Amino acid sequence: MESNIEETTPSFDPSKNYDEDTLAQQREIEKEIAATQSMVSQLYTFDEIVEEYSQEDAIYRQKIEDLKSRFKNLRKTRGDGNCFYRAFGFAYLETLLSNGKEYKRFFDIAQKSKDELVSLGFPQFTLEDFHDTFMDVVKMVEKPGTTDALLEAFNDGGLSDYFVVYLRLLVSGHLQQNADLYVYFIDGERTVKEFCSQEVEPMGKESDHIHIVSLTKALQVPICVEYMDREGDKCNSFTFNPFEGSADAADATPVFTLLYRPGHYDILYPL
Amino acid sequence: MANIAEQRIKREFKEVVRSDEVAACNIKVELVNDNFTELRGEIGGPPDTAYEGGKFKLEINIPETYPFNPPQVKFVTKIWHPNISSVTGAICLDILKDQWAAAMTLRTVLLSLQALLAAAEPDDPQDAVVAQQYKENNAIFQRTARHWTTAYAGGPNTDTELEEKITSMKNMGFDEHKARVALSTKDWDVTRAAEYLIS
Repeated sequence: MESNIEETTPSFDPSKNYDEDTLAQQREIEKEIAATQSMVSQLYTFDEIVEEYSQEDAIYRQKIEDLKSRFKNLRKTRGDGNCFYRAFGFAYLETLLSNGKEYKRFFDIAQKSKDELVSLGFPQFTLEDFHDTFMDVVKMVEKPGTTDALLEAFNDGGLSDYFVVYLRLLVSGHLQQNADLYVYFIDGERTVKEFCSQEVEPMGKESDHIHIVSLTKALQVPICVEYMDREGDKCNSFTFNPFEGSADAADATPVFTLLYRPGHYDILYPL
Repeated sequence: MANIAEQRIKREFKEVVRSDEVAACNIKVELVNDNFTELRGEIGGPPDTAYEGGKFKLEINIPETYPFNPPQVKFVTKIWHPNISSVTGAICLDILKDQWAAAMTLRTVLLSLQALLAAAEPDDPQDAVVAQQYKENNAIFQRTARHWTTAYAGGPNTDTELEEKITSMKNMGFDEHKARVALSTKDWDVTRAAEYLIS
């Protein structure tokens, strides 16, 4: 068959909306991910996780062994850019199932947060919507709640995504309230507010160190992250202590631990 | 349509779209069908701009994943603006793409579009021809945009000189809209516009 260069060379057609094609393709990718990964998974053992890595991948296989010596299980989250928030939300509420005192403390912070966000200029109408759903999920803890019920809620598109949106708003709110502290940690010539509308508030925007610092501080919840990268022979653990630098000597023992593999957060369960 | 999206749009209709503030800002939204997936929007051109006095209709489609993904919006009314395609009405605006956040509403979108009409961003263009004119020949751009507002959006200003050029091209046998596009593209030079249409 003869090929015709003129026909095969892509050319710009001004009557065509290329953005729509790009968006449609993006939606297809999202659908594919949604079809194959649950938002928050069942528990996995490390013997199952190690199979994700080839025999030749000695470094990662060794690090999985390291995790296995300290942790019992792992729960995966969907790789949709919201994994940090979803992992944080699920892991935290799960610990609250057996900690009534901490639940009470968190409930009050969560309840009050709405007015603070409204005072920062977030639109009241949508904020109320997200806050109501967020609180509905939070209240599942006291029903009394079960891990299974939380798991079901975190895999319900509406509830789970609304929960993520509200955590994003809390991060944005905290960053904006403390803009003078965070402005030096932001890449590029951006204000904290611009950073929030570009990197925090839109769904699917991945989380970095600054997002984690901000969420743990906003909710006053210390967490630990195990970093699994190609350096060293063990995972590096890092504790985000929201009380650091403050006068009150609150207990900074991490409430739960997340596993970071480049670009993604999952939940770890200790032995 | 997913239930979340429909509930949300219904609430937006009740609580946002019909507020007095919205009427004062000269924006509105209407349903096209009963299932809340297709809407028709309208924004008034901002005062002291080339779009003043015009009413611009918008086609709004609500995706199943709303409000986690943005509504799809394009101009139905033809408009001459660097960030809006003069051919398709497609819009280049960050919040309709990667900077959409679920806390935003249709009201946010319409007000942002109005703001875009008042402050174009020619360095991030949707229509390269218009953006080039905006940057290199702003006086002609303003005049052209004002003329399009009158021709397509019911604007009040008649520019007799431009009208006559279009009439002369119509007399040569060209379609009015095509003549307007060619003249606008070629900075209102009748000869070059005619060449452009013939080639």
